[in-house]
Amino acid sequence: MNWLTAKRRKYGSSAEVAIRNRWAYPGDFLGLVITYGLFVFVFSRIWIAAYSGRAEIVGYDRSMATWYFIVAELVVFSSGNHFWSFAREIRDGQVAYSLGRPYGFLAYQYAQKMGLALTQWVPFAAIGGLIGTAMAGPLRFSAAQLPVFVLSFLLAASLQYLIQACLAMTAFWLEENSAFYWIYSKISLVLGTLMPLEFLPLPLMRATLFTPFPYVTYVPARIAVAWEPGRAWALVGGQVAWTVAVGLLAAAIFSRGVRKTTIHGG
Amino acid sequence: MKRENAQALLRAYARFFAASFRANLRSAMEYRTNFLIQVFGMMINNAAFVVFWSFLFAKTGALGGYRFQDVMFLWALSSSAFGLSNVLFGNARQLSELVRQGDLDVYLLQPKDVLVNALTSKTIVSAWGDFAYGFVVLAFLGFDPPHWIMFALFVVSGALVFTGVFVISESLSFFLGSSAGITGAATEFILSFSLYPEGIFPSGMRWVFYSLVPSGFIVFLPLRVFRSWSPGLAALVLAVSLAYAFLAAGIFRAGLKRYESGNRIGARD
Repeated sequence: MNWLTAKRRKYGSSAEVAIRNRWAYPGDFLGLVITYGLFVFVFSRIWIAAYSGRAEIVGYDRSMATWYFIVAELVVFSSGNHFWSFAREIRDGQVAYSLGRPYGFLAYQYAQKMGLALTQWVPFAAIGGLIGTAMAGPLRFSAAQLPVFVLSFLLAASLQYLIQACLAMTAFWLEENSAFYWIYSKISLVLGTLMPLEFLPLPLMRATLFTPFPYVTYVPARIAVAWEPGRAWALVGGQVAWTVAVGLLAAAIFSRGVRKTTIHGG
Repeated sequence: MKRENAQALLRAYARFFAASFRANLRSAMEYRTNFLIQVFGMMINNAAFVVFWSFLFAKTGALGGYRFQDVMFLWALSSSAFGLSNVLFGNARQLSELVRQGDLDVYLLQPKDVLVNALTSKTIVSAWGDFAYGFVVLAFLGFDPPHWIMFALFVVSGALVFTGVFVISESLSFFLGSSAGITGAATEFILSFSLYPEGIFPSGMRWVFYSLVPSGFIVFLPLRVFRSWSPGLAALVLAVSLAYAFLAAGIFRAGLKRYESGNRIGARD
């Protein structure tokens, strides 16, 4: 029990430091919130045009499609893109600095990124909620959805962190690895972020469910806008499976990659 | 005599421009793998939206009076114009940082115009991908040679408007101190509104596209000319793009009078 409390305190402090750093310069964060608000506005307008003369497309009405985008982008914006700072720490050799410290590098990074995500989602959700309500009416959300949605959101943020960590850790072997992130972020955008998976051709949609991409944005967004308890739990199960699988992969990559680290001292 | 002086000045600036371009290109190609990754990465980035639009149009048909080809034209022209702006004038979105850090001193001491000198002293590597992307899309859309010439002309006019907007928003730092929030928002706004059909926005806000966020002159009016040739409209687009460039230069010069040297010793990158 003492061991668990010590761990919680240690990684809790890591998260707290990251949060303090972020909120020391709120102006830097404002630009991101404005960008998110702008995207929500533009896509709300796209859905207004798309639904002109029709009540629903592939099972989604206009309000659902609008809120789907708001929630999917909320995951992307609030849980952030960790790839760049993660890859930089490896490339600059900062990772060597953490090896001699009494914490795990992956867990330390996770605590920092999740700590940020847990505070950052509030301003994003506020601006998204305001614009969404004004453009498409309030989100139809029941109390029964809340715990499943929260769980799904946390799993999505964790999976996003782990995928980006795996991509960033290729920096142990490659000097330039940004192409992996470019490709990941764009595939992820098309497969479940900009629009629901149901908008894709059926064979592609089915194939997509065997990849980790929809478990980052599609699942929490789908649970928020279309409540079907059985399907929701099945999708959350998929999230758990992918989070565990990618987590193990990240640990394996780190343990191999860290052997490539050369410490010069100084 | 005056005309000869003006011609000599133009020739001198053309030579300077070409020399800056060559130096920037050599600098970008120094790390060839990185250059290629950034160029192709940006093209993949833009291409992701082709997939999005094709799936959406498959479900909805036309959107706000735009067909799939029209939206692809918006993306092609915006990308190439934005790319050209950042390839030739790579410092356009860094001006406020130069002002804030007192780094304009280097350019003030050199004989060429401060704004032209500062703007052309850098290129953005990924912007080469943006620039190329528009022409690749145009090739897929399959147009005849006159349309290619028209497109190239509108890429230049669009690049002038993009650069003008960047310079104006960045120059606010002369007056406001830090304008990072405004400049970031200006970039996002002009890009976002240039990439989506004009018809999806409410008619009450479209005046914005022809004034504060001039996406209308970057893509919407050029699209109309592309659909149906109109020399008057084409001339208007070119005239307005020049006007934005001169307005930006005027605002920068007005701001420069308030510039306080950082007393930093530095050299041009």
